[in-house]
This record gives sequence, C-alpha cells and structure tokens, in this order.
Amino acid sequence: MAELLRTEGLTKRFRGLVANENINFQLESGNVRCIIGPNGAGKTTFLSMISGHQVPSAGRIIYKGQDITRLSVIERARLGIGRKFQTPTVFDNLTVRENVELAVLRLKDNTRSAAMRIDEVLTAVRLDDREIQRMLVKHLSHGQRQWLEIGLLLGNQSELLLLDEPTAGMTSEETVATGRLIRRLAEERNLTVIIIEHDINFIRDLKAPVTVLHLGKVLAEGSFDVVAADSTVRAVYLGDEV
Amino acid sequence: MTFTLRNEPRQPSIFAQVVRGELCVAVVVFALLGLIPLFISGYVIYVLPQYFLFGMLAMSLGLLWGSAGIVSFGQAAFFAIGGYAMGVIMQAGLGEGAGYVGIISGIAASGLVALIAGYFLFSAGVKADYFVLVTLALSIIVEQMAVSQSEVTGGWNGMFVDRMSLWLGPIGTISLYDDAAIYYFILPTLAVVYFALSALKRSRFGKILVGVRENEDRMSALGYNVAFYKTAVFTISGALAGFAGALYATHSNFVSPSLAGVLFSTEVVVWVAIGGRLSLFGALAGGVLVAALSNFLSSISPQYWQLALGFIFILVIVFFKGGLAGAFTNISERTAYRSLQESGNG
Repeated sequence: MAELLRTEGLTKRFRGLVANENINFQLESGNVRCIIGPNGAGKTTFLSMISGHQVPSAGRIIYKGQDITRLSVIERARLGIGRKFQTPTVFDNLTVRENVELAVLRLKDNTRSAAMRIDEVLTAVRLDDREIQRMLVKHLSHGQRQWLEIGLLLGNQSELLLLDEPTAGMTSEETVATGRLIRRLAEERNLTVIIIEHDINFIRDLKAPVTVLHLGKVLAEGSFDVVAADSTVRAVYLGDEV
Repeated sequence: MTFTLRNEPRQPSIFAQVVRGELCVAVVVFALLGLIPLFISGYVIYVLPQYFLFGMLAMSLGLLWGSAGIVSFGQAAFFAIGGYAMGVIMQAGLGEGAGYVGIISGIAASGLVALIAGYFLFSAGVKADYFVLVTLALSIIVEQMAVSQSEVTGGWNGMFVDRMSLWLGPIGTISLYDDAAIYYFILPTLAVVYFALSALKRSRFGKILVGVRENEDRMSALGYNVAFYKTAVFTISGALAGFAGALYATHSNFVSPSLAGVLFSTEVVVWVAIGGRLSLFGALAGGVLVAALSNFLSSISPQYWQLALGFIFILVIVFFKGGLAGAFTNISERTAYRSLQESGNG
C-alpha cells in the first residue's frame, strides 16, 4: 500500500514547553490510525501541525511524496487534508444542506453533480432526512454536528481526515455508528483517517492500529491489543481501565 | 409549549432569507418610482435621484456587511473619491463622452483604493474590530486630502461638477440637464445595480461570502482563500460606492470634503442598520428613506432631528437586529409557518 503521510523528526516547542518531540509517524493510504494518550500528551498539537494550524519548530511533513511543512492551511486543504476540530466547527446559522453545499462549492462542479454530491454526503453521514436537511445546524444534537463536520470533509473530497475527538458528546449508540462510518469511509472510499480519541471502547471496536503519545513523544505503536498489554502504556495512560 | 420548540428549527436560514419575495417587491417599487415624474415635477424630481444614489451607497455597504459580515465606516470615502474623480474629469474638457470617462474613473479610483487597503489588511489577517477603525481613518484621510489639495478640489469651498450627457456616438447626445431626464437615467441604473447585486448574492461567490461571515476558520480549513474573498467583496463595494459618488457629483453639480467625512460615513451605517443589512432591498430602502427623513426632519426641526434619528437607530438595534427588512421577513415567515401548520392539522 502506498504511503500517504510521513513525519520526520516533527517537533513543536512553545517557549520552554516541548509539545511534540521528534515524532516519526507513517501512514498508508486507506488506513485508520488512532492517537491516544493522557491530556497534554501533544495529540492535538500533532494534528495541528499536519493540518497547518501550527508551524513545526523542527522536522518535516511529507504528504503524497511532497514536502508540505511550509504550506498554509488553505493549501493543505486543497491537497485533500481535512480537519475536524475538537469543538465542532460548522456553520451554525445555516441549514444542514447549506453547510454541505459550502463544502462542495469549493470544487467548482456543475450544479447537477454538486447536488448529487451533497445528497451522497448527507446519506453517508446519516443526515439525509428531509426535515434534518432544512434544519439550522445550531438546533442539531451534538453528535449530529460531529457527523456534519465529517460530512463537510467528505464534501470537498478530503483524502486524509484528521478527526479530533469525533465521538465527544455522543450517545453510546451514536458512538457505535461513528465507528462504523469511519471504517466504511476507509474501506469503501479508500480514505485515510487519523483519530484522536479518549473512548477506549470506541478505539478497541475500531480495530485500528494505535499510536500512544506521552509527554510529546511516541510511547508505543501497534495494534490495540499489543498496546493495551504494554506495561508502560498501562502505567501512564490506561491504568486499570482495560 | 411545544409550539415554540418545534418552531425554532424553522427559523429562516440567512442563506435564503434574501430572496423570498424581495425581488417581486423590488420590481413593483422600481415600476412605481418610474411613474412619479409623470405626475409630479419640481423639487421632488430633482431630489429623488440623490436619495436613489444614497440608496446605491447603502447597498454597497449592504453587500459588504450583510453578505461578508464586514462593517466599513469608509463608504463615504469611496463615495467622495468617485465624486471628485467625476469632477476632475468633467473639468478636463473631454467633450461629450466625458461623463463616461468620469464614471469609469470614479469606479476605478475608489475600487483601487479599496483593493489596496483590503489586500494589505485582509492578507495580514486584521480582525474585524481593527478593520472598522482603519476604514474610519480612511474617511478622515480622504476628507483631509480633499481639504488640503485645494488647487484640485477647491478645498472647503468644494468643486463644481457639470452635468454629464449621454453620448450615443453617431446617433447623437441625450442631455441630462433636465431633472426628469437624469431621473430616468439614475433610476434604471439603480435597478440594474440592485438586480446585479442580488444575482451576485445568490451566486457561488455570494454563498462563499456567507460562509466567510459565518465561520472563517471552517472556510480556510475547507480550502477557501478567505483573504481573497474579503478583498474581492471590499473592492466591489468600494467601486460601487465610487460609482454612486460619481453620479451624485454630476447630478448635484457639486462635491465637498464633507462627503467623505466621518459623519456621513456613520450615516451610511445607520441607513443600512435600519433598513436591514441582510437584505439588499432593505439597505436600499434604508438609504433612500432615512436620508429623505433626515432631510425632512432637519428642515422642520434642525436641533432635534439627529437626536430622533439616534433614537430610531437604538430602537432598531435593540428590537429589530435584522432591521426593517428583517422584521418584515420574520413576520411573513411566521405567518407562512402558521398557515402551513394549520393546513397540516386541518
């Protein structure tokens, strides 16, 4: 499988604080990867450096064989890197359909194929009910807003989805559905997904490789079972949870 | 009560709010305005085109503020730049086509200033609050330049601007010296500008502006060049204000530094706030009606009219955030929803 993303010695320092230190990370296209770790481990910082919201202090980011370390958020988005933020960042005062339309509009399709793409996205993220399509986004449930934001990333044809806590605020049923959605996106559309999560059950069910960050460094990497059995990981993060 | 709860998601979206019924109202109003000179003559016919041009100026802010959420206290500066450009060209002795050159110069000069200011401010990611301050400064700068460059502008005394004519090449020239003639030039121009802007708001560009207004971070993360779109709409807005200014100058035969002033700039913001920034027609109506009302009030009560206008402004801000247009849309939406419910129940 082709490599989609690689980081080499990625480091981020905020004044004296080291948020990320020498992270070497690699991900093949069509794969899903979970990033876990205690609060302050540097998970969101890592994601921000990939999306372009933070500039690395050192190191390189290679996406599809191209060095994107110096590119802006906008340029990276145009290369297919889509970011879902920790707090859902959507257009609250517009309807569900208009939200997706704004994502699709970036691609300058003709009207008919744009409308088809909007329908397809809404179906994929389970917001295709006609009443829901016409609702203002601020009236959606927290879980629906998370899905919509993923829908926006599908709408402008992102190939690498960076999902920061996609199941936050979801019911257990919604969480299960989200896991299913993410697996389907990877399998059917060959999308590549990086997920930051705290919900251990969600991560276990996802059956995806896990990278554990601790104090800005990669502590362990591998399948969930291997990582969960690791004594250092248990000591700093999982504790007796698993 | 479940009614309010169920009613909430039916709030009109601001994407579509603009269109519903507004174009029909606009067609009727423009048609009625077209009939006025057939029945009335004199001062009203002279002064109405001025208010139309204030309405056009208000629309330039309505587009900027309503669509993209950018407030500008610099619209008067662009209006004045357009006016002075027209004045300079009309004095240059270019013959019968001078009016066209004047209009194009007015649009180009004001558009260029907006482009330069917008480019540097938006590329640098200047926040909305600071942007407002810069536009305010722009008004002051243009006013001061109009005062200081008196050999060109006439300083405080202002500048005489001749009426333009409509030069039609070999067919001949239509004189606009008659007030009814220029009325029938400015009114259709206003209508064309209104419908063109309405189309712009509904276009891909217009929708992207709404996205920028609603969530800049999301738009960047989707790959939209936010600074480009802000600069573009500010340039269009500035050029339109300059166009209105050029026509105003040639219509009233006079431009003076106060056209660029902070006071006039503030008035434009008040017009649009009262008329309703989310609706182009609201902004247009706000410009025409509030300017006319101010004129009327200042003639009967010069001491108190600004106070009265201030009170109206505060009332609108407190009770009708969407301005008069917003209030109308809310009422009609609510009635529409109620009748939908009743028919559903029946």
